[in-house]
Amino acid sequence: MTDISKTIKKVDSDEKATGKAVYVSDIKMDGMLYAKTFRSKHQHALIKSIKYPKLEEGYYIIDHNDIKGKNFVKIIFEDMVVFADKKVNYYLEPIALVVGKDKLIIEKIINEIEVEYEVLEPVYGYVNSEINYHFTKGNIERAKMDSEKTIEYTYDTGYQEQLYIEPQGMIGYFEDNQVVLNGSIQCPYYVKNAVVSILGSDDDYVRVIQATVGGAFGGKEEFPSLLACHLALAVDKIKKPIKLIYEREEDMETTTKRHPAKITLKAYTKNNKILGMSSNVAIDGGAYIGLSGVVLSRALIASTGAYTIDNLEVTGDVFLTNTVPNGAFRGFGAPQMLFAVEMFIHHIAKDLNIDPLVLRRQYLAKQGDATSTSGKFRDPIIMNEMLKTILEISDYKKLVKPNLKSKYYEGVGMSWFLHGCGFTGSGEATHIKAVVKLKKTKDGLVHILIAAVDMGQGVKTTMKKIVANILNIPIEKVVYNNPDTNFVPDSGPTVASRTIMIVGGLVARAALKLKKHYRHLDEKTVTETFKQPEYIKWDEENFKGDAYPAYSWGINIVKVEVDKATYQVNLKNVWSIYDVGKAIDEQIILGQADGGTMQGLGYGYLEVMNAVDGKIAQKNVTDYIIPTSVDTPDMETYLMDNPYPLGPYGAKGAGELTLVGGAPAVALAIENAIGKKVYKIPVTPEYIMELMNDDEN
Amino acid sequence: MMKIKFELNNKEYVFNEDPSKRLLDILRNNFSLTGIKEGCGEGECGACAVLINGELINSCLVPLANVHNKKIMTIEGLSETKRGKLIKDSFSKAGAVQCGFCTPGMMMATEALLNKTAHPTVDEIKIGLSGNLCRCTGYNMIIEAVLLASKEGEGLW
Amino acid sequence: MVKHIIPNSLSEALDYMSKDEYKIVSGGTDLMVQKRAWAETPPKFDQNTIYIFNLMDLKYIKKENNKIIIGANYPVEKIKDFKSTPILLKKAIEIMASPALRNLATIAGNIGNASPAGDTLPILYVHDALVKIVSKNNSRIVPINEVILSVRKTCINKDEMIKEIIIPILEFTKTSFVKVGGRKADAISKTSFTGAVNVKDGIVKDIRIAFGAVNVTVVRKKEIENKYKGLSVLELQSRINEILNDYEPFIKPITDQRSNKDYRKQVSLNLLKEFINNL
Repeated sequence: MTDISKTIKKVDSDEKATGKAVYVSDIKMDGMLYAKTFRSKHQHALIKSIKYPKLEEGYYIIDHNDIKGKNFVKIIFEDMVVFADKKVNYYLEPIALVVGKDKLIIEKIINEIEVEYEVLEPVYGYVNSEINYHFTKGNIERAKMDSEKTIEYTYDTGYQEQLYIEPQGMIGYFEDNQVVLNGSIQCPYYVKNAVVSILGSDDDYVRVIQATVGGAFGGKEEFPSLLACHLALAVDKIKKPIKLIYEREEDMETTTKRHPAKITLKAYTKNNKILGMSSNVAIDGGAYIGLSGVVLSRALIASTGAYTIDNLEVTGDVFLTNTVPNGAFRGFGAPQMLFAVEMFIHHIAKDLNIDPLVLRRQYLAKQGDATSTSGKFRDPIIMNEMLKTILEISDYKKLVKPNLKSKYYEGVGMSWFLHGCGFTGSGEATHIKAVVKLKKTKDGLVHILIAAVDMGQGVKTTMKKIVANILNIPIEKVVYNNPDTNFVPDSGPTVASRTIMIVGGLVARAALKLKKHYRHLDEKTVTETFKQPEYIKWDEENFKGDAYPAYSWGINIVKVEVDKATYQVNLKNVWSIYDVGKAIDEQIILGQADGGTMQGLGYGYLEVMNAVDGKIAQKNVTDYIIPTSVDTPDMETYLMDNPYPLGPYGAKGAGELTLVGGAPAVALAIENAIGKKVYKIPVTPEYIMELMNDDEN
Repeated sequence: MMKIKFELNNKEYVFNEDPSKRLLDILRNNFSLTGIKEGCGEGECGACAVLINGELINSCLVPLANVHNKKIMTIEGLSETKRGKLIKDSFSKAGAVQCGFCTPGMMMATEALLNKTAHPTVDEIKIGLSGNLCRCTGYNMIIEAVLLASKEGEGLW
Repeated sequence: MVKHIIPNSLSEALDYMSKDEYKIVSGGTDLMVQKRAWAETPPKFDQNTIYIFNLMDLKYIKKENNKIIIGANYPVEKIKDFKSTPILLKKAIEIMASPALRNLATIAGNIGNASPAGDTLPILYVHDALVKIVSKNNSRIVPINEVILSVRKTCINKDEMIKEIIIPILEFTKTSFVKVGGRKADAISKTSFTGAVNVKDGIVKDIRIAFGAVNVTVVRKKEIENKYKGLSVLELQSRINEILNDYEPFIKPITDQRSNKDYRKQVSLNLLKEFINNL
């Protein structure tokens, strides 16, 4: 048998390259109507009254009055309304959906809707705490008492927009007594559950199908549930096909983004040793909690990054503000925290006058160490080998030669990081309970029946590869259609770097089971259900135990130059090394690495988004800057095998890992170049100028 | 309404339409050429790129009036050509396709670039693709794909 | 109903424009964005529109009597490839937007749009470019700094359009164009600096400086330039603080979603300083 990592051609490459792949905006149906969302003009206001214009035949307005279930988007808490009824909590919050055949008439109707508001004072910033978590490890009070020097820094991170190139969208229709929704989504069952809840219907009444997804990055995790609720209410009422595609500006102004955060870290030190640490995290949730609590959890758990600190206290809050709700984005709280931790370890080293590399090595986590939540790193950690390799490859010690005459300041930065694979805590066992099926049909085909979505990360290829390899059949014999809730079981959402490790693991087990029967039976379906390993224990209340079943690891090294006149940053080189257990397909993982690293780097130095007076200021692709091909540096990436016993072929999570180290690496490279401490991302030229002008830094 | 005449993927059309309409909408709606994608609607992302008289143009910025008497090629047309097939294969081999939404535009940009410069350097490729945003790949594998096409397509451009 | 006209010739276009007011669409890179509507619905052109991009009698470039003459419709990508195009203009075009945009964008559009961030405008100012503006019965040649009056305001009348841009070919021993955008390609200027000098035997015979995106129009100050002509390079460099002080009052940028005024100002002056110091 060939090595599973050996690259094969991606199964969906050709249809995408030739434009034949069908994205939701490409779908047209007979008698199809269009929909547009009517939105709030205020950041925070009571709705006193709404006056709708008289509608001509064939035009409809859907609002909270059409809701049979509870007026909430089913996510975790009952807090985000589907349509605002009494109050609006952010600018452009949905109030109604206007549906009809002619877009110009829809727009006219929207312009004629009159809402009387009573404007309330909006709240912004870190003042209105809605969720607070707290946990400790070891004996932090003792560490504080024994400490001789406390080092404290505060770090700020900004918004980041997913900027998937395909905007949000969905088409809904009524067929065989079902409300059917077909859209650009990461989590078919999240959408289904939210729609069942808003319609107050039976499970069977709702069917959700995934269209080809033109990028997601977390942006199509929970947000599409809101859009789906709007559309489903309309389809349920009108019983005709309706298409709802967001315009780019609408998407950027009204959909979830990465939470801005403010993180204060304290190190209690004595004789150049870190006795303990305090971590205080504030994240801006926007107007509703949504997934913010879970995002906060992941951030808090990452408080010590790739290091082991024996004594720890961690607190964190989700603050609600009258701004667009923030949500899932590749990394899910970890990018903010890892930026802070990596800067902090450097700043501690500087303040203690130690070589940062020495300090890092001293506290690097080892197999058997206690995690930040007093769980255990059970599996081998090969960061030392990874470090040795990447220092050699990058020729690290010779990377920067000071050149005073140059037009540029040059600098090198390094980040060490880990990412917990799968859901935080016992989420897999208690909330998700993934089920997968494999079905062998008489024609010799094997159908993978799972709800996992290929959004570009290549799971169609990797899942098929796993099944084909185990059954030892050609990949063409394996079928994996876009998930359709009428046919696939709930194998969970396509999030949290869980798809290959958890779902792929179940698929592999199912394939092994099927293998025994494959040659003999005409038709056979096998089912596998997630079972948490016995040794994984998690106390959700106290953040105690194993927060994740496994961890992936990485190191990034970034070389930059900073223009002395314009403070602009050129990325020169990036070297990366990752331990994702085992790559199911080398090229696919390298593709994730390139893209994830670039997104992380963009987060660190380039991508600026602000809310000004509660409104997103960079609301189009012209003003929100992401890297172009010209901004891309030379990238060299290495993968190390370190198989995880419970993953398929040893595979762990990969999708998020590649993003989380980018920002600290580039920020530290800039810090190294300009000789000033950096405290926030993105490290824009404007911010670099400020730092350069600050004689005290 | 005005009579507008153009050649689309090697076929001639005479067309009565509002000349202010975006070429993007005409191609997607009237001709069902949905390989052309709308990513931003303001000429920044390149997902809607087509070739007009051989030049790379974002069809969201083109009023129908401006293609009067012009030759248009879309991804659907390019895919049928030898060069198009070779670019497609290069993209596949290099792993340049992830979500795929930018890919048709990238294919068009590649054709336009190789048409002008059959053996581009990495820097020339980066400039040639600089108007096509991709959020998945970090561009490296796309650049590889263009190099590969340039190498394997010896003589085609 | 608004009228949409696709004229067959310049004279036909001007004839229409002599009778009614029209919005001129050339490559469409600005107007199609400004008038953008919900996808699949026509752009919101609320006035009569005339489409001139296909007019062959405006699509030319030539070198004549030490001048480059560029027809209003000639796309910038092609201007860049013309061998006699001044180096500064080539540089400005190279980092303007993206290849697909450059195939549509025109210098006439940059002028007509009169955005202070227009990429080619500082180059036109530095070259003392002239703009030929025509109407049905008239034709006039106006210096670039008199064409653009303020943000999105020009001297071009309703019945007129730009026919060509005339750029004198000048002798410079050193030039610099730096566009400071949010990223390396496909970006709108936060600020831009253009500098050109002609130094003979160590003496600055000519010096021209322009800043983009830091005031309502491009900043070029001939009275300041004249003050420093005739100095030696070393003398010029020794008076760098005076030069910076001279320009400082005219650098009056704004804060917006792309940058802030302090950055724009400091970087503009840094670039000026860098240019002078590196002569």
